[in-house]
Amino acid sequence: MTTVMVMGGTAMTETLDHAGLYRLMTWLSPGYPVGAFSYSHGLEYAVEEGTVTDAAALEIWLADLLRYGSGRNDAILFHYAHRLAERPAALAEVAALGAAFTASAERHLETTAQGRAFTEATLDAWPCAALERFLEAWDGPLAYPVVVAVAAAGHGLGLEPSLHAYLHAFTGNLVSAGVRLIPLGQRAGQQAIAALEPAVAETAAMALTTPLADLGGAGLLADLAAMKHETQYTRLFRS
Amino acid sequence: MSVATSLSEAPLPASGAEVIALRRTAVAGEAALGVRADNGITRLVELHQRDPLSLRLPQPGRGDIFEASLITTSGGVVGGDSLRIEITAGAGSALRVYPQAAEKIYRSLGADSRITVGLSASAGAWLEWLPQETILFDGARLRRDTNIELAPGARVLAGEFLVFGRRASGERLSRGLIHDGWRLRRGGKLVWADALHADGDLAAPLASPACLGGVTAFASLIYAAEDAAAQLEALRELLPEEPAGAQHALTAVNGLVVGRFLGEALAVRRSYGAFWAAARARLAGLPAALPRLWHV
Repeated sequence: MTTVMVMGGTAMTETLDHAGLYRLMTWLSPGYPVGAFSYSHGLEYAVEEGTVTDAAALEIWLADLLRYGSGRNDAILFHYAHRLAERPAALAEVAALGAAFTASAERHLETTAQGRAFTEATLDAWPCAALERFLEAWDGPLAYPVVVAVAAAGHGLGLEPSLHAYLHAFTGNLVSAGVRLIPLGQRAGQQAIAALEPAVAETAAMALTTPLADLGGAGLLADLAAMKHETQYTRLFRS
Repeated sequence: MSVATSLSEAPLPASGAEVIALRRTAVAGEAALGVRADNGITRLVELHQRDPLSLRLPQPGRGDIFEASLITTSGGVVGGDSLRIEITAGAGSALRVYPQAAEKIYRSLGADSRITVGLSASAGAWLEWLPQETILFDGARLRRDTNIELAPGARVLAGEFLVFGRRASGERLSRGLIHDGWRLRRGGKLVWADALHADGDLAAPLASPACLGGVTAFASLIYAAEDAAAQLEALRELLPEEPAGAQHALTAVNGLVVGRFLGEALAVRRSYGAFWAAARARLAGLPAALPRLWHV
């Protein structure tokens, strides 16, 4: 049997079988109906205002969002939601934190609308008991990383490959937004995704050793960009 | 990776006050203040203080509300210090609490400096928690958590103000911990959470264009009340023009207004103070004024 090996920041190494790979690639592909393409996470403002104007600036912006900002937060929430997927009461606390922890109105929409859409599509095509039990324990807004983590755990997909796939999708989606906004050629977009591979790996490894009490980030100018996007005159994206 | 290692590699010149502060043992200070409304007049019902925290009750300005100023008598906060502050605004009361001066967080040899703030507002209460600068020295390890409990019909205007390094000496932070966490609960239910968090290498996030972009100060505020979201547009109108080297914005999320101000410390202080004064006038019909000590 062929396995995909994903190295984490700890000594632990998890494997993923063909079925697991198939599911993660499906759920976290741009084709999964969560509407990811309509969110720029504040990037649309950063491009307009002149902070992100080329491929190099996009790479820095996204690498730092991953290491220090909202990517870090998503990764920590993902980690705990995955670990607690079979403990609905504790999981509901992580879900409450995920729903409460939000930098702006549009960021809140971005995570909860995708979380809701992911849940509906997954209950429909890929039902699992863990996701159903979670929805019985928590009826509040659904943060996107939390529901992806619960579905992954419910399908027996290991934390490390699942978290890696989630952060890849986060990165790929924002690179795609950058390609459209700056604009960049498709080749430059792929080069950015390649260049961001270490930042994704570092963020995933960091999340595995970070206590939930250290949830938080320093992506304040990215947060401010998301806030200012609300009053930006011309907008293509919902965030 | 430890702070102690990096300090031994690159010792910083210490100021006189810092040397004294670093020599003392860690302290655990407490301050608790409670008020309630008595026939529409806010009166003191609880005052507890333990060194190095202490509370004063200055005479409010004309037409203004009950106020308290908070003093740290130790000359600054060192690693291992723990400060706990509990402010309770009873039903119908109106209270403004603010520090007497900026607070210094000295470099730590390893232990965190912990500050825990609890703000509780009952039905019909107006509670202001107005900050002054918390100045982080290189190597400081600040872990501050502000927990707000809001009853139905209560209103809270609260903020924090961080300065990254001693401005006068042009100090830049290289290492340390900045954790400034917020939790807001209504009826015990978590409705909003946030945390500025950076641990270890601070130079990279402080310089990053997605993070702090080289600014020297960050101030935040929240307005939590039943009418908060409805006030967003009116509050945006009160934001001053962005001065050179500073930016700010407001958003409304989960039933509260959140404001962020980033930039050079003096520019942030001016915009933040001007906005705060205008906001309390707009929201509560109070004088558009900050306490005299805020201007010292």
